Amino acid sequence: MSFLEIANISKTFGNVTAVSDVSLEIARGEFVTFLGPSGSGKSTTLYMIAGFFEPTRGDVRLEGRSILSEPSNKRNIGMVFQRYTLFPHLSVAENVAFPLRVRRRPAAEIAGKVEEMLALVRLESFAGRMPAQLSGGQQQRVALARALAYNPPLLLMDEPLSALDKKLREEIQDEIRRIHRQTGVTILYVTHDQEEALSLSDRIALFNHGKIEQLGKGRELYEAPRTRFVADFIGHSNFLDCTIARSHGGFADITLPDGSALERVAVHGDARAGGRGGLMIRPDRLRLSPLRGENGPGIDVVLSDATFIGETYHFVLTTGWGASVNMRMPASLARADDVTIGTNLRLHWEASDASLFGQ
Amino acid sequence: MLLDFARLGPWRVALSLIALLVGAYLLLPILLIVALSFGSSQWLQFPPPGWTLRWYEDLFDDPEWIASFLTSFKIAAVVTVLSVGIGLMASFGLTRGTFRGRQALRALFLTPMILPVVVLAVALYAFFLRLHLNGTFLGFVLAHLVIALPFSIIAISNALERFDRDIETAAIVCGASPLEAKIRVTLPGIRLGLISAAIFSFLASWDEVVIAIFMASPDLQTLPVRIYGTLRQDLSPVIAAVSTLLIALTAALMAAAALLRKDDRS
Ligand SMILES: Nc1ncnc2c1ncn2[C@@H]1O[C@H](COP(=O)(O)OP(=O)(O)OP(=O)(O)O)[C@@H](O)[C@H]1O
Ligand SMILES: [Mg+2]
Repeated sequence: MSFLEIANISKTFGNVTAVSDVSLEIARGEFVTFLGPSGSGKSTTLYMIAGFFEPTRGDVRLEGRSILSEPSNKRNIGMVFQRYTLFPHLSVAENVAFPLRVRRRPAAEIAGKVEEMLALVRLESFAGRMPAQLSGGQQQRVALARALAYNPPLLLMDEPLSALDKKLREEIQDEIRRIHRQTGVTILYVTHDQEEALSLSDRIALFNHGKIEQLGKGRELYEAPRTRFVADFIGHSNFLDCTIARSHGGFADITLPDGSALERVAVHGDARAGGRGGLMIRPDRLRLSPLRGENGPGIDVVLSDATFIGETYHFVLTTGWGASVNMRMPASLARADDVTIGTNLRLHWEASDASLFGQ
Repeated sequence: MLLDFARLGPWRVALSLIALLVGAYLLLPILLIVALSFGSSQWLQFPPPGWTLRWYEDLFDDPEWIASFLTSFKIAAVVTVLSVGIGLMASFGLTRGTFRGRQALRALFLTPMILPVVVLAVALYAFFLRLHLNGTFLGFVLAHLVIALPFSIIAISNALERFDRDIETAAIVCGASPLEAKIRVTLPGIRLGLISAAIFSFLASWDEVVIAIFMASPDLQTLPVRIYGTLRQDLSPVIAAVSTLLIALTAALMAAAALLRKDDRS
């Protein structure tokens, strides 16, 4: 029996299907992230667990017991929202005390717990401040302290950092990781930022159109994407259109639009001979050389754009048939020739770094 | 800004002058009344030949004036409580509800604001005649509630719309029941709206004269009604004294409302 079990839940609003038959099992203490594009059903799934929405179908079980019949305030779940939701008329300490006050806990216990929670988020000295006197990051840390004050077995977070700037976001990500380690609380986290998902979670559930497209460790999603959507979403992959000449036992021989043929490319999903497909290559697995020479698969390209983004160069290359290919290269490896727009170059990759997605 | 005051050049003087004149035009009658209430002339002579507090003494010695003052105050107080209470519930329905006809209902609630008061007064008079409510305390309260409610609904609805509902939801996730969350979190969150609803409801009743004239009976007269009635008999400086007190209370409440709004913005 897993700790949290989401069993075949669906949610429709009128004729919009927001979540469609999602199932997921989460172990105690795990950090699972819902990742996916806007409108893919991440928040709706989270809200059904929190009790704001009733699922159209399916069940949510916590430690084996269905929680659907309980109202939100009885579920004993912690939650941090995307928007700032501190109670504006209460001080930081009173905000953290609130869940304990509504539970009628003795004053001494409340005082002790508030102190412990503020220490956990490193805001001890802010106890007397009002929410309006805090920065966005501090407000979310207080919200986190408030959500953990009653030792909930499960903590839900819906894009808690999306309103913060990048640097602050990274700082608070570290805090969240530390707090997860320190408290052992089970966390369900929603984001549409793949880096955030990769850096925080034990496992990622990648959502698309109300379904979980793939569930697994970040590395699995990156290295063994099961669908073209996953490959595209995690790592901004390149897809080169191609036709499938032959398909045999998980591999295929393909032809690119310029006529160059590639043999034995690993296939994901199904690829039928004669059909079309997408050849997927990660931007960081590509290499450039000054025309011909190196062996292995490759195509002729023209450099059409080069952007220096600290540590790495981001190149946009145009193939002979007009498709764009993104490529990243450590700045230290880039030669002067590589960054001259309009240069003809040869683009190549290891055969094992390319794979084929049927269409 | 296109019409930046600092960049108007010589027009600044003209503009200041116009503003000053308009301000004077609006304020002078009030200042005149205040001055007359302290003037020693029986005939409301201006400028006053001397200064006295006699008219205020007369006023406080007259049980009828005191009775009217208390009547006005009691009616306004009860109207305030009911208006804020009903306005709060109506606002929750209007801003949070998803039922059909919500916009039409809001418009209906606000009609007393645009309807000429005389029309309302005649209608209420005819209606209350059947219910035998004319001249009763309850009749006054119900009639004034009609004109006070739109102020409450506007002030509270605006506050509720600006209050992020996720904050209330957060309180519920924290373990508060939906009602407890509203009482402990939402109400304090919209308290400025509630206070300004109370102030404007109070003033709507306190200042009201047209409906009150229709509702009044010889032994139940609000302050504005008695002023009006007394005026028609004789022009005593006591009226200036009453008016000054009325103005003072109104001004104090308006100032409180303005301060609140400033507080809210900062
Ligand atoms: N209360 C609602 N009424 C009607 N439709 C809704 C409601 N809530 C969500 N939806 C729809 O359900 C779908 C999923 O929405 P959801 O908020 O779960 O997406 P999300 O993955 O959280 O997206 P985002 O990253 O933008 O927050 C969307 O198409 C949305 O329009
Ligand atoms: Mg969302």
